[in-house]
Parts: sequence; structure tokens; C-alpha cells
Amino acid sequence: MNSTTSRRGLRLGEGTFSFNFDGRRYQAREGDTAASALLANGVRLMGRSIKARRRRGVLTAGPEEPNALLTVGDSFNCIPNVAAPQLVLRAGLLLRSQNRWPSLKFDVASVLQAGGGILGAGFYYKTFMWPSWHTYEPLIRRLAGLGSAPAACTLPQASIENFSCDVLIGGGGVAGLTAARAATRAGARVVVCEREPCLGGEIEFEDARIEGTGALAWLRELAVELNSRGARLLFETTVVGGRGGEVIAHAEPGGLAGANTLYRIRPRVFVVAMGATERPLTFVDNDLPGVMLLSAAERYGVRYGVRIAKRTVIFANHNRAYAAATRLAAAGMQICAIVDTRPESAITEARVAALREQLVRSGIECLYEQTVIAARGRAGVTAAEVGSITGTGHVRVIECDTILMSGGWTPVTHAGQQEGGTRRYVPDIAAFVADRQPDARMTVGAANGVFELSAICHEAQAIGERAARLAGQACSPVPPPKAQGDPAPELRPFWRSPAPRAAEKRQFVDFQNDVTVADLRSAVEEGFYEIEHAKRYTALGFGTDQGRLSGVLGAAIIAELRGEPLDRVGTSRLRQPFHPVTLKSLAGLRTGAALRVTRRTPLHKWHLAQGGVMGPTGLWMRPMHYGKAGADVARISALEATAVRTTGGISDASTLGKIEIAGPDAAAFLDYLYMTPASSLKVGRSRYAVNLREDGMVLDDGLLLRMGSDRFRATTSTGHAEEMLAHFEYYRALEFGTAQVVISDVTDAWAVIVVAGPKSREALLPILEDPSRPPVAALQHMDFTMARFAGAELLVLRASFSGELACELHCPPDSAASLADALVGAGMKPYGLEALDILRVEKGYLTHAELSGQTTPYDLGMEGFLKRKDRFVGSDLLDRPAFHEESRPRLVGVRAANGHAAFLAGAQLVGREDRNHPCGYITSSALSPALGEYIGLALVARSIGEGAEIIARDPLRLGDTTVRIAPIVHFDPSGERMRR
Amino acid sequence: MTQLVCPFCGPRELHEFEFRKTAASAGGTPVERVYLRVDHPDLSIEHWHHVRGCRAWLVIERNPSTDAICRVRLLGGDAE
Repeated sequence: MNSTTSRRGLRLGEGTFSFNFDGRRYQAREGDTAASALLANGVRLMGRSIKARRRRGVLTAGPEEPNALLTVGDSFNCIPNVAAPQLVLRAGLLLRSQNRWPSLKFDVASVLQAGGGILGAGFYYKTFMWPSWHTYEPLIRRLAGLGSAPAACTLPQASIENFSCDVLIGGGGVAGLTAARAATRAGARVVVCEREPCLGGEIEFEDARIEGTGALAWLRELAVELNSRGARLLFETTVVGGRGGEVIAHAEPGGLAGANTLYRIRPRVFVVAMGATERPLTFVDNDLPGVMLLSAAERYGVRYGVRIAKRTVIFANHNRAYAAATRLAAAGMQICAIVDTRPESAITEARVAALREQLVRSGIECLYEQTVIAARGRAGVTAAEVGSITGTGHVRVIECDTILMSGGWTPVTHAGQQEGGTRRYVPDIAAFVADRQPDARMTVGAANGVFELSAICHEAQAIGERAARLAGQACSPVPPPKAQGDPAPELRPFWRSPAPRAAEKRQFVDFQNDVTVADLRSAVEEGFYEIEHAKRYTALGFGTDQGRLSGVLGAAIIAELRGEPLDRVGTSRLRQPFHPVTLKSLAGLRTGAALRVTRRTPLHKWHLAQGGVMGPTGLWMRPMHYGKAGADVARISALEATAVRTTGGISDASTLGKIEIAGPDAAAFLDYLYMTPASSLKVGRSRYAVNLREDGMVLDDGLLLRMGSDRFRATTSTGHAEEMLAHFEYYRALEFGTAQVVISDVTDAWAVIVVAGPKSREALLPILEDPSRPPVAALQHMDFTMARFAGAELLVLRASFSGELACELHCPPDSAASLADALVGAGMKPYGLEALDILRVEKGYLTHAELSGQTTPYDLGMEGFLKRKDRFVGSDLLDRPAFHEESRPRLVGVRAANGHAAFLAGAQLVGREDRNHPCGYITSSALSPALGEYIGLALVARSIGEGAEIIARDPLRLGDTTVRIAPIVHFDPSGERMRR
Repeated sequence: MTQLVCPFCGPRELHEFEFRKTAASAGGTPVERVYLRVDHPDLSIEHWHHVRGCRAWLVIERNPSTDAICRVRLLGGDAE
């Protein structure tokens, strides 16, 4: 019947090739989709349903397909849940059906089908409970779901394209194209998104004439005109969502996730012309292979030359059934009967009456006020049981192999539900359409509930002109194209055929999620009658369908069961994306290393050459230590720290923030930004400086250097560098708007090398240029001076974070490596962050662990700095009573009560009597090589005095340790080592 | 909204900007200035930073109910 070579169809090319489905080879034509090729090869069984594993065939000819979802590829590298009607075949493609074991024909789990009701709505709340749900969980999980995920994901990278245009038109059917042409002629820049590989929408199937020519010829001319006027046509691209004036569309060439493109579009006007989805009808066993949508038969026929049935029964509630029947009959399909749920008097269109007469004369029975009660058959449809819509009277059995059903159309309004758009119910078409919308969004055509071609053209012309005008193009109204297509539908709502209660569990509403009328009744009876509850209780509208096919149908049945009108029940909220989008498409190029910038210091290569093991601190890569990867980090860091205290070492401090503040008002500005005053700082001196937040908490600390009377350089911690720059810029704008202050971020302009240790001065002086040596040799603690090294200018600051005699060298990035080499050559050993942390804990210096944003200057023992009377950021709230309560923590040192016990930062501190109420926690800890035991810093309640013994509790790591409160500075309390 | 109009740079994508805080009403005690805000459904006055752009600080008047921007000006500019 459907020979591969002799089929004629709009989408078919000449070539033939073979493909594989469930291990068997089949032939296909160029342009075939998986569905059309399988149907042409006589394959009707394409999958099994999600819950009951019932046999399923393809239901539709579009992306709303609920049943025929295939896995493309082998088990290692595959893409699951590909809709068969959308997948354009290529030679050698490997297709597999889903949700069956061991095979599609013989599925072991379908024995569940025999169990009938145990898998009804909410079954997992009511069954499989003894002894506990978890006993059954593994089995249920294995059976659940549609396709299986692949072992590896090797999708190629998707691209993201951003563009703006005057008018974006979603949908390339007659409505969209008429609007596009009107807007383009008015001079607007127009982009059309069409989900199929070519334009036309439904027009291919109607007997339509537009502007005096046949529909297809009209389409061709129009495409040429649009192209020549510069309109952009995007094919295989679906609008999937968007907000805030942005529309997001997704292109999936060939219907298969591959080289996808995500479009982020900024149109001035968005015209929704995405048509309407035909909806099914509910009767017993309406999910058998062979039950399909009426439009699907036409599409497979016209596009792919596939005659999908030998004998068919057409079942509908509107006029289009007769137009479609005429066309299908002309294409050679044998139509046994047309079952119309309406009374004969419902047909008032003369053209329809004429078509009907012709059909009757050619021997096709037309039945009125009748419905298909049930489909008969096991592996597929073998007959239809037809009876009165009242459920009484005689039931006929009509032998057929296909039932083509159509319950009307659901306009695709998802885009209309965003951003305050409302919907309203239109009883004439028994569907919801977009009601109030933002000005820049318009709906037209079948998406707007208009199904009659001349009305569509009329409306679309006006919308296209209005869109152009809104986008700023002047245009005068032009008469709309004259068109005639299929007659108006004259639809009468009909949702399900009558059935005894026991049979309701075989009346399918949502095919993909196996939701039946029995499930909906169950939901209503059990109190889940609100549509959103019913959706979640029954799974109506889940999955890739998202209510596109059966949402209104399900809502209407719930409305009937509740005895209320459909517009009172409504449908569940439609959510983005409105069509599946791969995560890879959303990520675009922002994957792997491109996801986050990596910042490297000027010494990065140098660290690696020295054997540094790098680790991330935020975006920066910094050397943790200089042993081998996987070496005993504790031992190596201890050695590095010891080397600093005995001879000397160098470390990389380039990541700390550096901000220069200059201008006549710079000192006054810094007085305001810092808790520690700046104006009293002398030129050539530096000072430890602390910033507060406006609520009085400590924000950051660093050094402030006075380069000149009008110039300062401030350093910040690495972690707060960005925030401090923004902090400075904020107050500069907020309170110093008219002041003469300039702020520059120079973090990346200077590399900083710290050389520390008893022999650091001896190592540094010889490598500097001759004239620089005396000033550097004479530097006092916290002074700085300029020097020269190998022709480059250097700032030498005598400051220490290790507690040893040390200098910070600010040098140009290009000189950093040679400066480091020279210092290493002079005997200084590189030390990393781990060793640095040991050294600073020994000295009681603070990092983000103590400056957590929840500590006040009083907590940290900084009262000595607070001698000012003037206002600065944070001063207003410093004196509030809460900051001075007894319960506030205080920074202290900790040692083990027993010299060898270990404790770690993060351990909670509790009193010996009450072990369940923390009175503080350990903020930093280190195994000190200088002292030979564990030391730490902690924040504890003020009431606990020095020498007190308390417990450090660390149940996940070390358990309980007894510690005692000790002085903060564990090593060299007088600080004489750094003042030599 | 997915774009903001920076007085220096023109219309830019939202991700170039960072929200800092809602501006306090004039007057009030220090505690009120730091912690208390009055919510109006129609008007929110906010301080934003054009971090990934010209780094200007902006005062943005926004309607929180509709997310529409009413006015954008420089912080510390004329009216402050």
C-alpha cells in the first residue's frame, strides 16, 4: 500500500535509505520522519504507555505526540524521548522503542495491565505501603519513566544567538505569514519562527484558495516576497518562553537534539500565530494503536504520501470531519462511517451539507448524535462500537482498522499566559483564548480561536499592520487577502462517550501519563477537584505533553464530574519552556572552563615551575603548597612554615585587592570609609586599617599606605576585593558627590611578593639596584619606600602577616617572576597558603574566618582603634546596647588542655556543665610547628575568662576535646621578631 | 525587565547591573536608615551599580507590582 519508492508527498525527496527500529531494518525516503516511515512500513506498534504498559501507536503528526517517543542511538550514546513525528530520518539511524521489556510485542510488565485498578491516580499513596514504601521503591523506579538516560552525553555544543527586531511572529502558517507580509510591506524588520521545516501550517491540507491561487502556490510566492524584503525566516524553531520583553525560541534541526540554537530575541512587538492543536475524544480503549487524530491522517497523507488505514471510521463533533473525509476518500482511503456527535440540524453551512450529500452518495454512512463507545482489538483497532450519545439503545459494530478522532482544537495560547496576560473561555469553540495582553503582544489566527480562513486572513492583515505601526513604521491599511478554505467548524462540545464505571479506567484522557476518566473521577471524589490539585494528583498534563493535547479535555471532564461549567474550572497554569529544551541549549557555550573565569596571578607559571599545587580561592588559582600533588599536606606546610621562621620564604600576595584613592579630598574620604583614621597617617607610612559596614559589623581589614598628601593606596583581603571597590564607589557617589576624589582599582596592575623571615633583609638588599639599598635597609616597621629592581620600579613596604621580619614588594607584573627567582636564588623558599595560615594563626592575625560579617570591632578586640569622635561608615550604630551585651562573643586564643590533643576550626565550644549549648566556636586552627601543638582562635562568650577549660565538640570529625582559653598571640607575643 | 537604561551607556542587559539596596527614606534615626524600609506596592527607590559596565551608581525608581522602571538617574546627582 505505501511503497517506499512510489509514495508522493510534499516533504519527500527522491533518495531512499535504510534505518533501524528495534533491531529490524526498514526503508525510508528522504524527508520521511520516523513516524511516517514506520507507518509506511506497516509498523503500528511504536511504544508502551508509562504506567500500565499498554500497547501504543502514534497518535498525532506533530510535537504534541504523547505515545510514539523513541530513543535514538545505542545504549551508550543516545537521546531518549524523541517524538517520532518530528524526527527527520537519516541513513543508518538506530531507533528503539521505550518503556518495554524484553520487547515491544512481549512486555513482561504489561501484566500490570491485567491488575487494572491498582495503578490508579495516587496509587503510591494507597498501595505498596506494607511493610514500607521503600520495599517496592526500587522496582517501581525501574518501571517508571519514559526513556532511559544514556551512559554518556556527547551532544555537540549549542549556540545562543541574541538579536532584536521590530516584529517577531511566532508561527509560519497563513495567519503568521499574512501578518508578516503586511508588516514587511510597511517597512518593519520581521522575523518569523516556524517549528516545521517549511512554511504553511494547516494550509497544506485545506482545499484553500487565497488571492486567486491555490494555497501552495500562494505560499511559494509569499516566501519569495518575504525573503526579498529582508524578512528572516527561522525554521525548525519553536518559541518556548521568555519574559520581560524577551522571547526565547529553540531551534532543533531534524527534530533531534544536536547542533541546537537558542535564540534570545528582543522584539518590539510579538505576534503569536502558533495555531491550535487538535484534541482527542474519550471512549473506551481509545489508546489502541490505530486510533489517531483526524489531522494526523491528512498530514501523513499529504506530506509523506502515507495512507495510514485501509478502512477507517471518522469520529468528530464539527464540520471539518466532512471536508477531511472527502479529501481522504479522494486519496484512496475507505471510509466506513462518519460518526458525528451533533444533531443533523447543527450543520447550517451549505458547503458542508453539499459535501455530506456527496459522501452519502458514494456510500459513506453519516451518523448523527452518535458516538464511538469503544474501540475493539488487542494489538490494534479491529472494529469500532458505535452507539447513541445518550448511552442507550442499539450498539453497532463497524469493522475498521483505524479510528480518526477530532474533538475540536485547543488554541496554542501559552505565550499569552505570561506577564499578566489573561484568558477567556469561548463557548463556540469550547476553548480558551488569550484575552487581555500587554500592548506589544498580539494573538492571531487559530491561536486566537479563529479557524475559518477568510476571517484569519482578515484579522492577520490588520494585526500585521498594527504591529508595524507599534514598531514605529507608518502604514495605511490595505484590504486583506481574499481567501476561502474549509468551512467554519460549527463545533458542539463533546468530551467523552458514556460508559459504565468499570470501563472508565480504560477511557484515556492524557495518553502520555496514562490518566483515565476513572482517575479524574477519583481525584474529584477524594477532594482534589481544583484543577491544579487534580493535575498533580493524577499526573494530567505532566511530561512533554504539558496539557497541549489533553489539557482542556481533562478540565472539561472534571467540570462535568463536578457539575460546573468549564470556564469555572479552568485549566492548569502553563509553564515555560513550552516545548522540551535540552540543558545544553540553555547553557550554550557557557560550559566547562568557559563557565567561570579563572584568574591567575603574574606568578602562576612560576608557581607551577616551583612545584606549586594550585587550588581555587574564589576565581583565583593560588598555590596551596609546593609539595607534590597527593603528598602529606600537613607535613609539607609545616616544613614551609618552619623555613620562614628560621631563614625566610617568599609568597604571592598579588590577589589581595589594591585600590588607589587620590585627590585633595582623598584623606577626608578615607576618614569616612575607615574606622581607623587616614588623615593622621604620614606620607611614607602605612597603617593597619579596618572597614565597617553601615550596621557596625566589621567588613574587611587591610593596610592603608600614604603615597603622598593627596594619594593613598589601600589593600583589602582577596575575598572582599570586589566588594570593597564597590563599597568605595558607593560612598563616593552617595556622600562625596561634589568632593575631589578619584578611585582606581590597581589590583591587577601590581604583583605583590612577600619576602619574610629572619634572613629576608639580607636576601632582598643585594638584588635591588645600588641606590635603593640604603633606604630599604633603613625601613622601619610599617614604613614603605620606592626602590628599583632590574630597571623596574618597586614599592617596598615593611609589613608582616607572618610575624617575621618581612617586606611586601609591589612590582610590575612582568618583573614578578624574575624578582621571585632572584629571591629564591638568595635562599628564600616559596611557601603556600597552608603555611601562611599556620604562621598567621600563630600570631593571632585575622582572616575572613574571624571577619565573618557577624563580628563587631568590640568582639575582635579592636577597641584600641576607636578613639574618634567624628562620623564614619558604621559609627552610627556602634554604640547600640546589643553590641555591648554579655552574650556577645570575644576573640580569644585556644590551646589543648592536654598538650597533644587536636581540634579543628568549626568545632563548637560548650561549657563543661552544659554540653548542649554552644558558647562559641573555633574560627581558625593550626598544628603549630613552632609550638609543637594545636593552636587556634575562637569566638566565645565574654563570661568565659582566660585560662578557663571548656570542651570543643566536633562530632563529625574529632569528637570532644578539652581546650583552654589562651592569649590570642600564641608565638612571639611582644612582636619583636618583626621589628628587628 | 531584562534591560536597564544607564545614563552613560544607554540600554544594557540586566546582568550588567547589581542591586545593592533599597534607599532609606529621608530623615529618621540611624537604626531606621540602616534597617527599616516602608514598602509601597507602586514605588521602590533602589540603588543599583553598573558593575560590568561604566561602574556608575544609579538610583532607580521601579514599580514592584509591574516591574516597570519609572526613572533612572545617577546616585549623588542633582536632586540628592
